[in-house]
Amino acid sequence: MTFTRRASEIAIGILPIALVIALWHAIAASGIAPAVLLPPPGAVFARLIEQAGSRQFLDNAAVTLYRLFAGFSIAVVVGVTLGVAATGSKAVEGIVKPLVRVLAPLPKVALYPAMILMLGFDDASKIALVVADAVFPILLATYQGTSAVDNKLVWSARAAGCTPRRALFTVVLMAALPSVLTGCRIGLIISCIVVFLAEMITSTDGLGYLLVRAGRNFETVDMFVPLISISILGLTLNAAFNALRKWLLRGFAEES
Amino acid sequence: MTRLTQIPGLPPLVAAAGLLAAWELAARVFDISGLPPAHAALRELPVILTDKESLLNILDSIRRMVVGFAFALVFAIPVGLMMGRSRLTAAFFNPLLMIIYPVPKAALMPIIMLWLGVGDASKTLVIFLGVSLPVIYHAYQGARAVEEKMLWSAAAMGMDARARLTRIVFPAALPEIMVGVRTGLVLALITMVTSEMIARKQGVGDILFNALAMAQYETVYATIVIIGLLGFVIDVGFERLRAHLVAWAEPAHEIAAVGST
Repeated sequence: MTFTRRASEIAIGILPIALVIALWHAIAASGIAPAVLLPPPGAVFARLIEQAGSRQFLDNAAVTLYRLFAGFSIAVVVGVTLGVAATGSKAVEGIVKPLVRVLAPLPKVALYPAMILMLGFDDASKIALVVADAVFPILLATYQGTSAVDNKLVWSARAAGCTPRRALFTVVLMAALPSVLTGCRIGLIISCIVVFLAEMITSTDGLGYLLVRAGRNFETVDMFVPLISISILGLTLNAAFNALRKWLLRGFAEES
Repeated sequence: MTRLTQIPGLPPLVAAAGLLAAWELAARVFDISGLPPAHAALRELPVILTDKESLLNILDSIRRMVVGFAFALVFAIPVGLMMGRSRLTAAFFNPLLMIIYPVPKAALMPIIMLWLGVGDASKTLVIFLGVSLPVIYHAYQGARAVEEKMLWSAAAMGMDARARLTRIVFPAALPEIMVGVRTGLVLALITMVTSEMIARKQGVGDILFNALAMAQYETVYATIVIIGLLGFVIDVGFERLRAHLVAWAEPAHEIAAVGST
């Protein structure tokens, strides 16, 4: 019963995607929109498959992935450490909380020119932008998760002879893992988006650059390819992260 | 110490002052042309804000943001609420939204520019797209969580489906919708700046990169401060409005509000 229901829901879900592609094809085929403005979907997907085997495209994708993961890893380390420290110490909390209040609503992309000035046009400024954008959701989720942990857990660990600092990382952080991972997932998708934008604004390589270059040359088909690639990349990362999360949280109660 | 931190608005103010001091110090220690001292950048603020052209550019940006944002609310809230109340609608829209979600909306700029030109229409459309998604998502979550019994009672009293949606589901989902609207506001500002950085023609993003290209570093930093202030003012203003509208609900989770660019 639940299975058939699920299957029919998947069928309904595929419908709009198929409709969009069909409509896209119909408009392109009817000639209302010239192929220069809207290439037919068949051409775009054929190009995507062709590009997936090309060395140059893969190199650019690799550059994007490198920046994405470098920035995301730094953001996780900084965000989790600060979040846990803010729960563990009143002094750190007093400094971190107002700073987050001021910095979190700032559109980080506005800082990008400043990062270019300080770190140059290369990888460093793009990674810095990814860190700046991804760190806040991770920090906030870690802080909220760890400060909601039941004190009894810490007391038991302390009674068993655990030092306060050790209890913070082995007990509190572990107990707050579901919340921390939620923050990391948001941070990961943000990293994916931000790295692409940074590459579009100023770059000489990466998927974002491919899109801008195709735009300059009016190669519409090549403009859709990086866009679809980034969507697939985001979905894959999201799915991979969910699998990792499920595995890491296998001891926790099921949550919706 | 604890009493000082309880004065509303004081800790962020101190934090902002601390950041400025750290900036000033860093500029003096490193002494590179790419990082002018804070006081030099702040001195540029009145120059930018009294310059007619810059001011018009900034106001233009804000106008596009407001228009895109308003259209997004009008479109996204009903869609989200309907998704939350009907499994069929949800199953229909969910996968589509899932595919669109990881695409940076500002990245659509080059393609939309081909169709609509570099003017207001493309930028407003991109802002509209960026704001719509989180608002749909949260309206959907909010509507899904509405107590069934309330709807049954209303139906039993003869309220039709449409009235139930506007008079029961909407207010009940309002706190959750507000979380989405806040994310949307942050996104509107980000998308506004990014779209102007990609399609450089007018607006705040254009001022930034123009100044960068002409090596007017003080102007670059002063513009960043303006955008930062704008973000902060919008955020605080919205918090006020939210507190006023949904005072009956407990403060919603903050993670979602800052998350999802």
